[in-house]
Amino acid sequence: MAQTTYPQSIELRNSNINSGNINSGNVFVSYNETVYKSDEDAQIMRWLSILEPEGRHHGVRTDRFDGVGGWLLDTREFRDWRGGEGGTDTAVLFCSGNPGVGKTYLRHVAGFFERSECY
Amino acid sequence: MLLTARNNSSLVIDSLCDQAGKGDITVACLYYDFLAHQEQTTANMIGAILRQLVSRSGIPDDLRKAFQDGKRAVGGRRPLRADLMRMLKTAIASLPQVFICIDAVDECLSKNIPELLELLRDIVRESPTTRIFLTARPHVNDDIRRYFPKVVVIPISPNMDDIRNYLEMRLDRDTEPEAMSNDLRAGIIRIMLEKMSDMYV
Repeated sequence: MAQTTYPQSIELRNSNINSGNINSGNVFVSYNETVYKSDEDAQIMRWLSILEPEGRHHGVRTDRFDGVGGWLLDTREFRDWRGGEGGTDTAVLFCSGNPGVGKTYLRHVAGFFERSECY
Repeated sequence: MLLTARNNSSLVIDSLCDQAGKGDITVACLYYDFLAHQEQTTANMIGAILRQLVSRSGIPDDLRKAFQDGKRAVGGRRPLRADLMRMLKTAIASLPQVFICIDAVDECLSKNIPELLELLRDIVRESPTTRIFLTARPHVNDDIRRYFPKVVVIPISPNMDDIRNYLEMRLDRDTEPEAMSNDLRAGIIRIMLEKMSDMYV
């Protein structure tokens, strides 16, 4: 029973891969889009939590644009962590930053464009 | 928003999910938000992680039983925090490798942070292949270090390459490209980058 699979959800994932959507993965297969084997399965998924971080991630991803922050994925720290060879000691990677800095920063950049578009 | 740690966490999740599509890893994400303290109880947060983990592998028996027991309780009952923690650990132990990405840990109610970190520490002890990615304002560093003394910290600050990419993108979308010349474009980028580095360095 524990190994029950849901063909519908797997199919969804595969079709994303085939269409070249590199952002596919189970995070994006929202539980309420997936057709579960029974009503009870769907109820259990809803019962687990009222939060839907899966949907939230969609929103953040849409706001993002390509090429920004890519340097992080190239750092040795990220690769070592991702590789997972270090065991328990290197299990946690912490990106420490003040969101205000980024936002203020962007406001200046965006502000420049808004002004220039008024001409 | 775009140049912040949150942007990076979204990027990391996507990068991991590319991998998840190909192989044996399962990714779960979580976002803390100052504005949602009431809903973001530890139980709801753990439940949301657990749901992401079981949505592909199927609902385990212990979860089904907890649900049925809860339903039988008078008026129905939400999942209990202790049950969720136990089921989460079991679910993680049954999967080859799990990545948990938690964004804006500092926006979690501060009284709940130790409990969250303790749970993550227990998970890593029981399933050492688990990888955890956290983003937060720097002041949470001490809390994290208490539970994970060897945590690897990457400071996120405004990055000139990111700014340059953003400028290029906006200039490419210029609604009046005929008014633009290479010199003007280069000048805009140079001056903007100068101003930005004066402001933040």
